[in-house]
Amino acid sequence: MTIEKRPNATADKTAPSQAPNVPVIERSPGPKLPGPPGVPGTERFRLLAYVKQESMVRVDKRPDETVLTWPHLLRPEFLMACLIAVLLIVASVFINAPLEDMAHPYVTPHVAKAPWYFLGLQEMLSYFNATVIGAFFPFVYFIGLALIAYVDRSPYKAVRDRKTAWVFFLCIMVGGVIVTLLGAFFRGPGWNWVWPWQGIYFTL
Amino acid sequence: MTLPGPGDVVRYVKESGLWRSLFRQPYPTTSRTRALAVMNNVFLHLHPVRVKKHAVRYTYTFCLGGISFFLFLMLTVTGVYLMFFYVPSVARAYQDIISIENAVAFGQLTRNMHRWAAHLMVLTVFLHMIRVFYHGAYKPPREFNWTIGVLLLFSTLWLSFTGYLLPWDQIAFWAITVGTNMATYAPFLSRESSFWLLGGITVDQGTLIRFYVMHVIAFPLIAAILMVVHFWRIRKDGGISGPV
Amino acid sequence: MSQLPTYGEVHGPPIGEMTRRTFMRRLIGWGVGLLSLEFLAGTFAFTWPNVRGGLGGKVVLGSATDIVGASPDWATGQPYSYQKARIFLVNVPAGEALVDGKTDNVPDPKKNVLALYRKCPHLGCQIPQLCDKSHWFECLCHGSKYTILGEKRAGPAPRGMDRFPFTIENGIYVVDTGKLEDGPPIGTETFDKRTIDQMPHCAA
Ligand code: HEM
Ligand code: FES
Repeated sequence: MTIEKRPNATADKTAPSQAPNVPVIERSPGPKLPGPPGVPGTERFRLLAYVKQESMVRVDKRPDETVLTWPHLLRPEFLMACLIAVLLIVASVFINAPLEDMAHPYVTPHVAKAPWYFLGLQEMLSYFNATVIGAFFPFVYFIGLALIAYVDRSPYKAVRDRKTAWVFFLCIMVGGVIVTLLGAFFRGPGWNWVWPWQGIYFTL
Repeated sequence: MTLPGPGDVVRYVKESGLWRSLFRQPYPTTSRTRALAVMNNVFLHLHPVRVKKHAVRYTYTFCLGGISFFLFLMLTVTGVYLMFFYVPSVARAYQDIISIENAVAFGQLTRNMHRWAAHLMVLTVFLHMIRVFYHGAYKPPREFNWTIGVLLLFSTLWLSFTGYLLPWDQIAFWAITVGTNMATYAPFLSRESSFWLLGGITVDQGTLIRFYVMHVIAFPLIAAILMVVHFWRIRKDGGISGPV
Repeated sequence: MSQLPTYGEVHGPPIGEMTRRTFMRRLIGWGVGLLSLEFLAGTFAFTWPNVRGGLGGKVVLGSATDIVGASPDWATGQPYSYQKARIFLVNVPAGEALVDGKTDNVPDPKKNVLALYRKCPHLGCQIPQLCDKSHWFECLCHGSKYTILGEKRAGPAPRGMDRFPFTIENGIYVVDTGKLEDGPPIGTETFDKRTIDQMPHCAA
């Protein structure tokens, strides 16, 4: 059996802070148990790690909560990899990557758009102050994302127990999707508003 | 005299010293050998021997992190292929892309795969982040891994952005021009930072070589190191979170 | 519950003092930290662009006669587009006359010229030649509009067109593309006070 050493405190507030009742196991090979290893009844034991209840390998819980990695995890991983590979190859056989004329620094095309993941930013740039959106916003976005894990101290994980956090996050994500779609499909030459049925000005 | 059949060949290979030096045990079919197979193989031992039951359901992770990683591997392979034919010079880059498409066997397919996998990876990384948020999987003890994740998101975006310039066509040139100009709105050091980023005051040869170096070596390395830490931390934080 | 002794507890020096070992350790720690910082600074210095030729240096345009030879309209106010420096050289007196509807001919405006950088201060598109209908510079990307002196009148740009310092050495026009200067802030109106709806435009 593998035993994972896990010194980190966990979120489990009910766990006592000190390790309780560490099972006392003979630590050093005493003269009491001589004999070669592997012979039943003569093995010696050493304490390698104390395994908390929360750990992946549940010591005293029902054993059916874990499954063997081979095959239960490796099979889905393999199938998923095959699926993605096949989809990608099929898509690449039928859809060519775009390539336009050679770069010409003196001729701006009528539609000049950033890559799609920055189009939301570019769209917002046409509403708000440039310094705020162009520099301040991306900075705050990444720092804010990184800090989420340290700012949100609520111990709950289910969505119903953390509605505020979820609504907040969802608003930002959905907002991002909307401005990105606007920038991608509703902006044409001169960054003017066009409806998608009037023409698509978007390359991947 | 009888000729050796296919079974004999297989047996011969499997009993050879070479084979047995590679694989220390037969194909794993029992719990014990399956556990050993995962434990003893350097690639498989990224995984623990046993995983939580709910974690292997497709609908828990939607495999999004795994797909991102797989796409990264595909991008590495197709990217190395493309490098054989691409010279990052303003005079040559565009012609090289054209010849990859027209003259190199499977060149167009390789370029397509690299391009579509890159866009897809940006998408799956975003979705993976949303999945992790949904499950509250960034909560202790996984805070640090979330932060590693944000760095991975940044690296993924930056890899995609630097790669976007390399074909040196009108899409590439103006997308990078417009994209980098957004950075010039910083309240201070804006001129200096854009000069440093572009390797000059406009997108030019200096930019192309800079982006090329970041795209083919610097950021793939950084991302790979971050992924190693990311995966290691998943195990050390007690495996996949949940169930919720 | 009585406090159990921990592994780490050893007899240290009196409070406020440091063992030799601690001192050495900290010394090495700070040393390595300092070196890493130096390495970082060195990385920045190393990757600082090494610009040779082209944009970034001094660009010689020739004498006023050369310019009129290359582009006769310059004497009557049409900005002279010099691609190597990516500028519009604006003949200010003739240009102002052009906007006012006169046809003055100023073959050599002496120091009264502007070297406007053709990169739009909004998101960097190439600004096309003066629009015939409005006599403004009109960026096609997102519709920023500038007067012939590069002052911003409309659109999302944060300021007027940027410009390069300009000198005349022995009658030869020289532009220093290494020193880009910010364009005039929004609201600067030294000339051409028309508003956006007083004339037809090239960019919507
Ligand atoms: C290159 C990009 C990335 C790769 C290859 C990657 C890969 C993975 C993989 C394979 C897992 C296992 C579970 C799953 O598949 O969902 C995982 C889990 C995780 N990832 Fe990522 N990831 C990436 C980016 C991110 C980002 C952007 C974030 C968040 C900002 C993030 C945060 C996490 C966290 C907190 C876990 C643990 C989730 C749990 O325990 O349920 N990762 N990642
Ligand atoms: S780049 Fe000129 S208006 Fe946006």
